[in-house]
Amino acid sequence: MNTPLYILIQLAAALLLAPLVNGVIKKVKAFSQKRQGPPLQQMYLDLYKLLQKDTVVSETASWVYHFAPYLNFVTALLAFLFFPVTFFQQTISFGGDIILAVYLLGLGRFFMALGGLDTGSTFGGMGASREMMISALIEPALLVSLLTLGLMSGSTSVESIMSVNLQGSPLSTNPFALLILIALFIILLAETARIPVDDPSTHLELTMVHEAMLLEYSGRHLALMEYAAVIKQLLFITILANFFFPLEPALASPLPALLLGLIVYVLKVLIIAVLVAVTEISTVKLRFFSIPNLAAISFVLSFLGFMQFFIIGR
Amino acid sequence: MNFLFMTTLVLYICAAVLPLILLKQQRVHNLCSNILQAAASCSAALLAFSRLNNAGAAVELMNIASPIPYLTLTLKLDKLSAFFLFCLGLLSLAVSIYSIGYMKHYFGRLNTGLFSCFVNVFILSMFFVLTAADLVTFLIAWELMSLVSYALVVFETNEPENSKAGLLYIIMTHLGTALLIIAFMLIYVNTGSLEIANASELSAGIKNILFVLFLLGFGVKAGIIPLHVWLPYAHPVAPSNISALMSGIMIKTAVYGLLRFLLVVLDASASWWGLVILVLGAVAAVLGIAFALIENNYKRLLAYSSIENIGIILLGLGVALYAQAGGHQETAALALIASLFHVFNHTLFKGALFLGAGSLHQALHTKDIEKLGGLMKKMPVTGTFMLLAALSISALPPFNGFVSEWLTIQSLFQFLNVSSTGAKLLGMLAAAALALAGGLAAACFVKFIGISFLGLPRSEEARIAREAPVTMLAGMGMLVLPCLFLGIFPRHIAGLLDGINQELLQVSVFPLIKGSVIFLYYPVQISGTALAPVFALMGGLILYLIIFTVIHLLYPHPADRIYKTWDCGFGGLNSRMQYTATGFSKPLRIVFRGLYRPKRELQYTEGPSPYYPGDPRYIVSTEPVFEKYIYQPLAGLVTRWARRSRLWIQTGSVHIYLIYIFAVLIILLVYNWVLGLH
Repeated sequence: MNTPLYILIQLAAALLLAPLVNGVIKKVKAFSQKRQGPPLQQMYLDLYKLLQKDTVVSETASWVYHFAPYLNFVTALLAFLFFPVTFFQQTISFGGDIILAVYLLGLGRFFMALGGLDTGSTFGGMGASREMMISALIEPALLVSLLTLGLMSGSTSVESIMSVNLQGSPLSTNPFALLILIALFIILLAETARIPVDDPSTHLELTMVHEAMLLEYSGRHLALMEYAAVIKQLLFITILANFFFPLEPALASPLPALLLGLIVYVLKVLIIAVLVAVTEISTVKLRFFSIPNLAAISFVLSFLGFMQFFIIGR
Repeated sequence: MNFLFMTTLVLYICAAVLPLILLKQQRVHNLCSNILQAAASCSAALLAFSRLNNAGAAVELMNIASPIPYLTLTLKLDKLSAFFLFCLGLLSLAVSIYSIGYMKHYFGRLNTGLFSCFVNVFILSMFFVLTAADLVTFLIAWELMSLVSYALVVFETNEPENSKAGLLYIIMTHLGTALLIIAFMLIYVNTGSLEIANASELSAGIKNILFVLFLLGFGVKAGIIPLHVWLPYAHPVAPSNISALMSGIMIKTAVYGLLRFLLVVLDASASWWGLVILVLGAVAAVLGIAFALIENNYKRLLAYSSIENIGIILLGLGVALYAQAGGHQETAALALIASLFHVFNHTLFKGALFLGAGSLHQALHTKDIEKLGGLMKKMPVTGTFMLLAALSISALPPFNGFVSEWLTIQSLFQFLNVSSTGAKLLGMLAAAALALAGGLAAACFVKFIGISFLGLPRSEEARIAREAPVTMLAGMGMLVLPCLFLGIFPRHIAGLLDGINQELLQVSVFPLIKGSVIFLYYPVQISGTALAPVFALMGGLILYLIIFTVIHLLYPHPADRIYKTWDCGFGGLNSRMQYTATGFSKPLRIVFRGLYRPKRELQYTEGPSPYYPGDPRYIVSTEPVFEKYIYQPLAGLVTRWARRSRLWIQTGSVHIYLIYIFAVLIILLVYNWVLGLH
C-alpha cells in the first residue's frame, strides 16, 4: 500500500461516492413527503449536463470569480485526501494534520464568499455575509472538538486519532465521545448547509445562504461549486463514520481486506446520510438569528466533552 | 559585525540629515533619503540575520560612557534583539521603497524634508530600543521613539482630528512610560545595577509588582485591551507609511519589552503571570477583531486588526511564560516560536495591508470603504497584493499566517497537556477564543477585500481610480511575496527562531538544517504531527492542472458569454443595489449587540402623504464602550479634581503665593531642625 494508490482510492471515493450520498439524502426526504423524488443517480446526470453547457459571466466579474470554483473544488478534494476511508490504509503513515484540512476548507469558503461579492448582485453579497457569520460562530465548536479528539489520542494528526480507535477501545464506547459526536453532527449540518441551518433546495432570498453565493455561476463553474459542496459533505460524514464508528474487518490478505473495508465504509456513510436526512425532515429551518444559539449549543457540548475527558481521564 | 552596525548608523544619520540640507528640492531629497534609508535597512537586516545564524554569545555593538553619572549608552545584540531587528529592517526597507512614490502625494503641501528626517530618527530610535543593554539607554530610546512617532502621527496638521488623535496617543504613551520608569527605578534600587540582565534573585513580592508595572507599561504601547484606545485613533490619521511602521514594528517593541523583561530579567518565576497574559491575549484577540468588523474606515479596521494579532502573539507568550515557570521547557520553546513567528508574519502582512491602504487613499482620497468598489479591475496589482495579504492575515494556507496560527494552536495543545486543572479550562477557552477570532478575521477581510475591490464602483472616485506607481507596488510586493514563500517553506524562520530558543531556554525544537537550501521542504514536526504546506500546495496545483485540463479537453467550449449581472428582469442594476460594508457586517453586529450596543435611527422626511414618505435617513452607530465607560469618567474625575484644586493653588493673589512660600520654608526648616536633634 503506497501513497499513489492511497490517493487514487481517496479520489475515487470522493468523486464517485459524494453525488450518490446527496442523491440518497434527497430520496429519503422525498419519501417522507410521499413523493418518488429524483433517481439516486440524478446528481451525476446534473453534473454531466452542467459540464457541457456554456457559461454566462457577468461583466462586473474579475479573476476572483473565475478562480473561485476551481479553488473551492481543489481545496475540498485536497482536504478529503487527509481522511482515509478505510482503516486498512492506516498501514501507510500519513502524517496529515486535521487542522490543515479544516483551514483548507476555510480557504475554499473565503473564495466562495469573494466570488459571491464579485458580480455586484445583492444575492451574492447576502449569501457571503450570512455564510461568514455562520462559519465564524461555528469555528470555536469545531476547534474545541478537534482539540479534544487530539487530546484523546496525543496529537492532532489524523493518523493518531484513527490509531487510537484501532488499538484501544473505540471512541464510540466512551461517554465523552458521545458529546463530541453530537457537537460534530451539528457542525456537519452547519458546514454543509443543511436544515436547520440553511435550506439546500431553496432560492428565496429570505432563506438561502450557500445557494446565494452560487447564484451567478453557470455551466462548468456551477458544476465545480456543487461538486465541491457534496465532497465537503462526504468529508464531514467520513469524519463521523471513521473517527467514531471504526468497524475494522480482520482479514489477512490485502485485497479482500481493502474491498471489505470499502464496502463497510460505504454502508456507514449511507447510514449517516440517512440520519442527516431524518434530521432534516424532523426540524425546520431556524430563523437566521437563532443560528448563534445552535452554534452555542454545539460549543457547550464540545466543551463539556472536553471537561468530561480530562476529569475522567483516559 | 561592528562594521555593519557602523554602516547602519551612518546611513540612517545621513538619511535623516540630508533632507534637512536639501529642504527645498523635494524630489531630490525624497529619492535620496529613501534610497539611503533602504540601504541602511538592508544593512540592519543583514546585521540581524548574521547574528541569528551564528552561534555564540551576545555581541556588544556600542559602549559610550559619559561623564554624567548613570548615563552610559550600551547596545548589545543577542538573538532575541536580532530577530526583532530583522523584522524592523525588512519592514523599513519595504516602506522606504514605497515612500519614494507615496511622498509625491505630499509635495508642495507639507514639509517632506522634516518628515523624512523624522522617519529615519524614528527607525533609529526603534533600533536602539531593541538593542539597548541598560535601563537608561532603553528609556531614552523609548521616549525618543514615542515623541518622534507623535510628531509623525500629527504630521498632516491641517486636519483637526489628527491633533486630537495625537494628543490621546502622547498622553497614553507617557502614562505607560511613567509606569516603566517606576519599574526601572525599582529594579535599580533592588539590584544596584542598571544593566538589563538576569535579576531572578529579587523577592517574589517585588517581582509581582514589577510584573504588573511591566504589563501595564508595555501594554499601553502594545495595545492590550483596555489600554488600547489610542491605537484606533492614531493609526488611521497617520500617513500610511507611518501607520505601516507603527503597526508593523512599533507595537512589537512592546512585545520585545515584555519578552525581555519577563522572560530574561525576571525569569518567568510565577505561573499566574502566564495565565494573566493568556487571558489578556484571548480577550484582545476577540474584542479587537470584533471592533474591526464593524468599521467602515479601512485604516481603523486595520488598526483594530493589529490589536487582534497582538492578542494572538500574547497567547503564545502566555503559554511560554506559564510553561517556563512550571519547568516544561519544550512547551515553552514551542510557544515562544509560535509567538515570535506571528510577530514576524504580522510585520509582513500588516505592513503590506497598510501600504495598500495608502495606495487606496492616494488613488481615491477617501478612507471610507463604502465609497470603494470594483477596484480589482482598475488597480489589479494592488488588489491582488491586498488579497494575498488578507488571505495571510485570515490564517489560511498556504500563507504564513496559517503556519503561525497552527503553531499557536499546537502550543495551546501542549499547554493543555502540561497545565493544572483550572489552567486547562482557561487554555481550552483561549483556544476557542482563538478560533472565534480566526473566523471573525476571515469575515472582516472578506468584507474589506470584497467590498473594496469587487463589484461595481460605488462612487465617482472609484470609477476613475488608477493603479499606484511602480515604487509603491514594489514596496508592497516586497512584503507580500515573502508571505507566500514563508507559508510554503516555513522551516527557514522556524530554524532561525530555534536559535533564540537555544539561547534563552537551552532547548531546541526544530534543529536548524545545515547548508544553504532555498527551498527547505522539510515538514515542521511536533511530537506526532507535522505540517508540510509544500506538499499540500503541490498536491493542490497538480489537482488543479488535472481538473482544468480534463474539463477543457473533454468538454470544449466557446469562450464565456459576457453579459450583465442578473437583475431579476427589472433592469437598471446599479452600484447602489450591491451589498454595502455596513450591510455585510450587520449579522455579526446583531449577534454581538451586547458588545457594540448599536443605536439605530431611521427618519423619513415628509412626503406628499403618510403613505408615501419622502427620503429616509438611516443612522447606525455603535457605542465606543471603552471610551465611554472607562476613560471618559476617569478623565472627568481628573479634570474635576484639577479644577477644584486650582481654586486654592492658583488664586492669582501674590499675597497667598508668598504665604505658601514662607509656610513651606518654615516647615522645611523645622523638619531639618528636628532631624538634626536626633
